[in-house]
Amino acid sequence: MISEAFIPAVTSLGSLALILGIIIYFVSKKFYVAEDPMVTIINGILPGVNCGACAYPSCNQFAEELVRTKDTSMTCPVGGPDLAAKLGESLGIEMAEPKPITCSVICQGNSDNARASAEYVGIQDCWAAMQAFAGPKQCRHSCLGLGSCIAWCDFNAMRIENGLIVIDKELCTGCGACVPACPTGVLVMQEKKAERIFIACNSHDRGADTKRACDAGCTACQKCVKVCPEEAIVIENFVARIIQEKCTSCGECLEVCPSKVNCIVLEKDMVKSIKVS
Amino acid sequence: MKTFSIGGIHPPESKLTASKAVENMPLPSEIVVSMSQHLGKPAKPLVKVGEEVKKGQRIGEADGFISAHVHAGTSGKVKSVKSVPHPGGNYSLSVIITTDGEDSWAEGLNTAPIDWKGLTKESIIEKIKDAGIVGMGGAGFPSSVKLSPPPDKTIDTIILNGAECEPFLTADHRVMVESAEEVIKGLEIITSLFQGKAKPFIGIEANKPDAIEAMQKAAKGTGIEIVSLETKYPQGAEKQLINAITGRTIEEGQLPFDKGCLVHNIGTAVAIYDAVCCNRPLVERVLTVSGMEISSARNIRAVIGTRFSSIAAFCGNMSEKTNQVITGGPMMGRSQFTLEVPVTKTTSGILFINNAALETSRERTCIRCGKCIDACPQSLEPWLLGNEAQFRRLDDAELYGLANCTECGSCTFVCPSKRELVHWIKYAKALVNNRKQRKTA
Repeated sequence: MISEAFIPAVTSLGSLALILGIIIYFVSKKFYVAEDPMVTIINGILPGVNCGACAYPSCNQFAEELVRTKDTSMTCPVGGPDLAAKLGESLGIEMAEPKPITCSVICQGNSDNARASAEYVGIQDCWAAMQAFAGPKQCRHSCLGLGSCIAWCDFNAMRIENGLIVIDKELCTGCGACVPACPTGVLVMQEKKAERIFIACNSHDRGADTKRACDAGCTACQKCVKVCPEEAIVIENFVARIIQEKCTSCGECLEVCPSKVNCIVLEKDMVKSIKVS
Repeated sequence: MKTFSIGGIHPPESKLTASKAVENMPLPSEIVVSMSQHLGKPAKPLVKVGEEVKKGQRIGEADGFISAHVHAGTSGKVKSVKSVPHPGGNYSLSVIITTDGEDSWAEGLNTAPIDWKGLTKESIIEKIKDAGIVGMGGAGFPSSVKLSPPPDKTIDTIILNGAECEPFLTADHRVMVESAEEVIKGLEIITSLFQGKAKPFIGIEANKPDAIEAMQKAAKGTGIEIVSLETKYPQGAEKQLINAITGRTIEEGQLPFDKGCLVHNIGTAVAIYDAVCCNRPLVERVLTVSGMEISSARNIRAVIGTRFSSIAAFCGNMSEKTNQVITGGPMMGRSQFTLEVPVTKTTSGILFINNAALETSRERTCIRCGKCIDACPQSLEPWLLGNEAQFRRLDDAELYGLANCTECGSCTFVCPSKRELVHWIKYAKALVNNRKQRKTA
C-alpha cells in the first residue's frame, strides 16, 4: 500500500520534470549548433592527449581547423605517418607525411660522470635551484637532475636516473612540451633516424673547465671534426655539433672521441609511429 | 621612536663585531673583478690578457644607461678575462689580475681632498658615474642614475640608510662611528644636487647608540636630522625606511621618487665623498666577516675582487663544522657553493655558519596559522604566494602581489612549518620571467 504522503511528492516532482523536459527540448532545438560530423570522425582518429605539438591548443581545435581548411601540410607529430594516412583517407586528401621527432638529452652528466659543486637542500626543482646557484653540478650547462621537465611530459616518458634525466624512447612522442621547462636547455628535439649520432654535451665552457667538471664533457678537441668524411661536424661556442642533414651515421667519430666517457653518442630510434591510448 | 607601520620581526641580533674597528685586509696575490657588480647590464671589459693595469684604472665600461663602470682594485697584470663564479649565485665575466704588490694609483686619482662646493651639479654626477658608484646596501643600483630622477619628480626627502637591520652585519655601523665626517660630507654632496629643497635624514636603529652619538656630533650645524629607529627587521629596507621616517607608503609599482624620497646607503655616501672630493673610484669596501664558525670575526676593508678564500684565511679560517657560507646578511643573503667567489661592490658581509637546522628542516604543509601575514612588511599573504608557486599557478601568484614581495625573509623566519616561502616566491618570479621572455622571443 502506498502511503498518502508520497502522492504530493511524486506528483510535484513528476510535473516539474515534465515541464523542464519540455523546456530543454525546445531550447535544444532552438540553440542547436550544427557540427560537421567529420570533426567527430577526425577527433576519433587523433590521439586526444592535447599535447600542443601541432601548435593548436587541443586535438579538437586541430580537427576543426583541418576539416575547415583541408590543409594537407597540417601534421600531428605524435601520431606519425600512420595517423597522417588515416586522416587523409577520411578526408579524401593526400596528407603530408610528418617527420617523426624525438627528444634527446644533450648531457651525460650523471652522478658518475659529473662532479658536484655543493650539496643542495632547497626546493627540489631545477628553476628553484637556479635561484640559489648555477645548479648542484660543477658544470653550469648540465642537466641539473631535479626533474622540472617531468611534470610537463604528458606521456610519462621522463624520469631521473642517477642524477640525470632519462627519456623513454618508446613513450616519447616528440611533442616538445618539455623543452621550455629546462633552465639549462639540455633537451632538444631531433628527427628520428634508425641510427642517429649526436654530441651529448651542452657545455660552452673552455675545454679545460669542461674536463674538470665532467668526464663526459666535450672539450672541443676537433678530433671528430677532422675524421668526419662528410664534414658534418662543426665546433660552435666550445662544443661540437653534428649537422644531422649531412651525417650518414658512419660512426668514425665515435672511434676517435678522447673523452673518458664518449661525448658523442649513438642513439637507435624505432622509426615507426607511436600508439597513443 | 619611529618605525614602519606594518609587519616586521625581531630576529636575534648577533652583532658580534659591533665594537671591532675596521681593519685593512692585506692585498691578496690575485683579485677577481667581476663585470656585473650592479643592477643592469654587465660592463664591457676594456683590458686584454697581459696588459698592465694601475689601481683605479677603468677596466670595465658601463654598457647602457643602467650599468656602471668597473675599476681595477690594485696595480698588476691581467691574467685572464673569463667567466667565473659570482656571489650572486651565477657566473659572470671577470677580469683576473695578478697583483704586483706596489698598489700604485693611476694618474690623476686619489688626490688631496678638494672642496666640492665649487663644483656644478653636472660635474658632481659625472664624477659619481666615472667612479662606478652603485648602491652598496645590496641591490647595486647605479648611483648616478638614482641621483638624476626624472625632471617632473620633486625630491623633498633624502634618507641615508644606517639602519643595518640584518643580524650579524656591522659594516655600516663601524663606518658611521669611524668615518662620521665623510658620511656627513657625502650626504651634503647628495643634498646639494637638489638645490637645498630636500631635507636630509639619517635613519639609524636604536641598537647602535655609539653610531647615533657620532653622527649627531658630526651633523651639528648642517641641518641633517638623525632619526633613531626601533630595532626591528626589515627597518633598513628602502620602502620600510621611507615609511618609518616620513610616514609615506610606496604603493605597488612605484619607486621612491614617486613619493619624493631618495634613499642611499651609508657606504654609498662615503664612496660619493671619496669620488667627488678625492677622485677615488669605488675599489674597496668595508664588510663584516662574522658567524659562529670563523675564528676571528671582524670588520675589514677589502679590495673589491678579493676572493672569499683569502678573506677566510685572513680571519683565521673557518671551522670544520661550517656548512653554510652566506654573502650579505642571514635574512636576505645568498648561500655560496664555492669560496672562489670575489667580493663585489654590494658584498656587505660574509657569514660562516653551522646551520644544524639545514639537515633536519624539511618543509611541512601550511597550517594556516597566519604568522607570515602578521610578519610581512609588504602586507602580502606569503603562504598563499607559496602555495600558488608550488602548484605553478603563476597568474594567481601575480594577482596576489608576487611582484610586490621584497624577499626580506620575514615570513620564512616565522613559519612554524618551516616552509621555504621566500624560495618559493623567488621560484615563481623566475618562472614568470621565463614566461615573459618566451612570449617576447
